[in-house]
Amino acid sequence: MAQDEIERVGYFEIRSASTRLTGGVHTLDARIQLVLSSEALRALSSGVPLTIELQLELIRVRRFYWDDDAAELALRYELEYRPLSQRYIVRNLNSGDQDSFATLYSALNNLGRVQGLPVIDDALLEADSSYRIRLRAMLNTQQYPAPLRLLFFWRDEWQLQSEWFEWLLER
Amino acid sequence: MVARAIKRASYTIFAATGVGLVLVALFLLSRTAQNSADFDRLHNVILAINIAGVLVLFAFLVGNLSRLLREYRTHVPGAKLKARIVGMFVGLAVLPLLVVFYFSIQFINRGIDTWFNVEVEEGLENALRLSRAALEMQMRQHLSSTQQISQRLGDVNERQLIFELSMMRRESGAAEITIYGSNNRILATSSDSSSAGLPRPLAEEVLLQMQQNRPYVALDPESYEIRTAVLFSYRGRAEPSGVLQAHFPVTERLARMANSVDTSYTEYQQLVFLRGPLKSTFTLTLTVVLMLSLLSAIYGAFVLSRRLVAPIQDLVAGTRAVAEGDFDTRLPTPTRDEIGFLISSFNDMTQRLATARREASLSQALVEAERTNLEVILARLSTGVLALESDLRIRTANQASGAILGVDLENRAEEFLPDVAKGQPLLEQFVDVAQVHLSAGETEWREQIVLRGEVGRRVLSCACTTLPGDEKHAAGYVIVFDDITALLQAQRDAAWGEVARRLAHEIKNPLTPIQLSAERLRRKYLDSMSEEDAQILDRATHTIVQQVEAMKDMVNAFSDYARAPDIEIGVFDMDKLVHEVVDLYRAQESGIEIVLTSDPTMPMIEADIGRVRQILHNLIRNATEALENTNDGRIDVHVCAAEFEGVDVVQIKVGDNGPGFREGSLNQVFDPYVTTKPKGTGLGLAIVKKLVEEHVGSIRADNNTDGGAVISIRLPIHEAAREAVIARSPGRADKRRERA
Repeated sequence: MAQDEIERVGYFEIRSASTRLTGGVHTLDARIQLVLSSEALRALSSGVPLTIELQLELIRVRRFYWDDDAAELALRYELEYRPLSQRYIVRNLNSGDQDSFATLYSALNNLGRVQGLPVIDDALLEADSSYRIRLRAMLNTQQYPAPLRLLFFWRDEWQLQSEWFEWLLER
Repeated sequence: MVARAIKRASYTIFAATGVGLVLVALFLLSRTAQNSADFDRLHNVILAINIAGVLVLFAFLVGNLSRLLREYRTHVPGAKLKARIVGMFVGLAVLPLLVVFYFSIQFINRGIDTWFNVEVEEGLENALRLSRAALEMQMRQHLSSTQQISQRLGDVNERQLIFELSMMRRESGAAEITIYGSNNRILATSSDSSSAGLPRPLAEEVLLQMQQNRPYVALDPESYEIRTAVLFSYRGRAEPSGVLQAHFPVTERLARMANSVDTSYTEYQQLVFLRGPLKSTFTLTLTVVLMLSLLSAIYGAFVLSRRLVAPIQDLVAGTRAVAEGDFDTRLPTPTRDEIGFLISSFNDMTQRLATARREASLSQALVEAERTNLEVILARLSTGVLALESDLRIRTANQASGAILGVDLENRAEEFLPDVAKGQPLLEQFVDVAQVHLSAGETEWREQIVLRGEVGRRVLSCACTTLPGDEKHAAGYVIVFDDITALLQAQRDAAWGEVARRLAHEIKNPLTPIQLSAERLRRKYLDSMSEEDAQILDRATHTIVQQVEAMKDMVNAFSDYARAPDIEIGVFDMDKLVHEVVDLYRAQESGIEIVLTSDPTMPMIEADIGRVRQILHNLIRNATEALENTNDGRIDVHVCAAEFEGVDVVQIKVGDNGPGFREGSLNQVFDPYVTTKPKGTGLGLAIVKKLVEEHVGSIRADNNTDGGAVISIRLPIHEAAREAVIARSPGRADKRRERA
């Protein structure tokens, strides 16, 4: 276990995020700091897989009306520890790609680095509208059995979620 | 009543909703525990429902409890019973629930703990270590073989590299061997048929390891493939020219076993990790269920107790109402059980009581009516009726009794009769006689009582009877009495009138022949007789004639008494009349002084002037006759107007200084043939009394303190005064009616 033995709360934070228009497609670059709580670490080391979700929302800005949710994208990653190989697996649940890491640090580092992720085709957006885009990372507990979720619901250690990080979509 | 029922119904519906919510929540909880997909969606709803249910129930409990406390403190009937029932039910519900809860918790904890076994854990740990050791051995072997391949390939000519690589790969049993140049460029690669596509670029951690000039060996966590990487350099060159990475597959059997160990260990660890949360979750769920059940049970206890106690409270309220006299209370009969029977019995009872009371009040009204009737009759009765308690307190007296005895007895109920009688001469005498009888223990007596009052004698016919009481004491007495003065007088008058008429008739007839015979004897024999005999005859016949004359006068007087010509009322001046009469007697010069005091301003009187003159004549003559043997005789005549007992009267007093009435005969002076005089028929005063009574006047005879008699007469001055006197005395009215 690379991380501290003392109890810690853990936090998710979007350090930076931006989009680029490359070849008519908006791609996302982001750096996210993922610090797991002691409780989550214990669960991970006991073989409980953690699901980390990146939520991306594209919002059309409207002048005289409520803003409109134009698109939503959820990127889910599964982090798992295998005791025999003593390695951490990071699995992209959207694409099915997976990678293994010798340390949790490198696994989380890998997870927290998003580069050139295609978000949306510019052609799908309205030409004369402006869009806001926002991103957050959160620990998803939906896949656990009900008794656990009932418990996680009440525990702060399991309520890991970053603030929304918001910026204007450059076109 | 209706509003209360609606309120109660809404409470029940509200509470039922609470219980229903709780049940739904529990059901959803059990469902979502199995079906995890719905959990997040439903979790908040379930939670809200649970909380709402608990809150509703709790609010109800608090409300019910405070109400019960309030009722208990204010001693509302049934509150104690309700409290006891609630306590009992709560006790019955809580104890088993707590026992079940305790054992369930124990069971869950033990059950979960039994999944975990130290030996199993150790075994799994060892299996993992063993597998790891086995794989690590292979990893070391593969690493050394990789290093050998790298060294051998360093000697190989660059052109033969791919060929040599393939050969060595086959020799070493690797699945893939790739040589990467700088910038992760692939220099050469060889793979068996199992791996498809281009080899992936070097991983970061491999590069990191290579930079530190250390060999890299790792186990793929999924396929248990062993990856090795070492630096590769051509012989003779100081700088490494690339990295050699090889993938060695493990045997399928080994991979399967490794996977099995890996999975089992992971699952066991997961269970160990889950143990705590599972326990807490189950405990939490059980506690929630327990709380809900407990609250529901307590609420149920309240509802049940209210149901049970309500009819009893109704009964208590009904009983109180009956105690306060409201017999129209009807209680609703809710059930057909024993309490229902009790309530219907209560209703029967109140109905019967109400009927009985109605009947009682009806008969009371009847009695009251009878009593009123009796009172009216008693009031109209001319007979006096006086009811006394055994201790001589007045119970009731009618109006006539008061009129006869001269005291208003009607309104003196409850007073002691002798006290009432003090200062009332008539009543005093009456009470004296009654007390003599009653103190002698006579229960039934009858007596004629003569009372002396200011207005003369009163004769009462009196009868007493005892009211039935208990054995020792009489409940009281009823004395019935009649004023029979007038009746007696009338009887006596009638008798004397008859006597007088007969006497006059029988005596008058022979008198004339006697007188005539005597005169004839005298005429025939007087001259022929000797002088001596003639003298005798003369005296004898003279005496006979004289006596016959006297007898004639007497007989005439009798016939006057008997005859009663109709009264003729006229208006005249009393003063003038009295002067006329007195002057007549003064003119006779009988040697008697007549002193007249008369008020000349006296009003005119309404009466029969002939009768009043006769009264005056009779009185003065009576006095004159009484004074015949008296020297210096003197008659006082006094006439004046006055008011007596609220009635305007003319008062006539004729007194003399003669011998007076004989003591003891005062009561009978007005009876015929009662006289103290040597002369006189004894009819004078009797006639006077009769005339006075014809004018509704009163008369009394007394002796003066200094000798002599005095007769006092009061005549009502006019018709209105006479009516007033008649109205006051029932006896007189009768008499007057008779006369009319």
